[in-house]
Amino acid sequence: MNFYILLFSLLLAVNDVTAQPKVFTKTGTISFKSKTALENIEAVNNKVLSVWDMASGTIEFSLLIKGFEFDRALMQEHFNENYMESDKYPKAVFKGVVENSKNVLLTSNNNYNLKVSGALTMHGVTKQINLPVTIKIKNGEANAMASFSIIPQDYNIKIPGLVADKINKKIDVLINVPAYKILATK
Amino acid sequence: MQAVSTPINHNMISIKKLIVAAVIIIVAIAGLYFYKEYNRKVADLSNAKVEETINAADLVTAFENDEAGATKKFAGKTVLVMGNVAEIINQQDTMLNIFLGDKSAISKVSCLMDMRKKEGFKNIVSGTQISIKGICTGFLADVEMNRCVIVNDNKF
Repeated sequence: MNFYILLFSLLLAVNDVTAQPKVFTKTGTISFKSKTALENIEAVNNKVLSVWDMASGTIEFSLLIKGFEFDRALMQEHFNENYMESDKYPKAVFKGVVENSKNVLLTSNNNYNLKVSGALTMHGVTKQINLPVTIKIKNGEANAMASFSIIPQDYNIKIPGLVADKINKKIDVLINVPAYKILATK
Repeated sequence: MQAVSTPINHNMISIKKLIVAAVIIIVAIAGLYFYKEYNRKVADLSNAKVEETINAADLVTAFENDEAGATKKFAGKTVLVMGNVAEIINQQDTMLNIFLGDKSAISKVSCLMDMRKKEGFKNIVSGTQISIKGICTGFLADVEMNRCVIVNDNKF
């Protein structure tokens, strides 16, 4: 009898390893860059929360606008107060789906180039976006990297004429999740 | 007539000179101010005035009960938080996160430490009570704090 219990639990354990888990991170990084001849602007947010259900492919990112750190204090203040209005719109959230997420296996080291599509909400505006993402599996951990660009105008972010030449019309955004951790196994 | 107008002319010239000098000084001061302001770095919080003081557990409860209200009260402010070190996540010595609160709680206070002050973080171990000062940025899965420094004199 004990043998069967042992066998059964072993089978369950094996099943757990191969099942698609739900993974998460609290320390993902999202940075952005704006380059013009007059000025380079860069900021980074190291506290990005992301949950990815590998079985269904649903993925979510959320971050706090006030969590973006700039080198120059004045830029950070203007970003929060004038452009992103972070008191009014404290978060940016992306909810989407990773295409072919089921094929990603944490059990073997491999690289995957996949597509993610979904809705990005910030500054009170929601837009559909598509972006390619690179997933690297190393020693049972998934690293995700993606880059895309956004147009501030699309999100109703107004840039005054006086500084318009200093801010690029397109802002390059870089997402990097060094390591997703397993939250729960389905 | 000539004798009367000469001193007036002299006065006019000196007033003009004075105005020009004043304008130059004002422009120079303004220029220096804007230059300094433009290049101002994000402040290190070691000497920053504490705006709110609270226990880690109470801060988490405040956000769990009324996120919008707590965001209004704490976000963007310099907050002094005291609590138990539940977890330390060190990413290759470039990023250090100290989680304050109950180890079993789902939400904690996540403090991203200011690496300019990393000398002060060396002796921090899990399970001890410490006070951390940082800028509260809001609530995700945890209450988020940035640019955190350790406050040693536990004035609470």
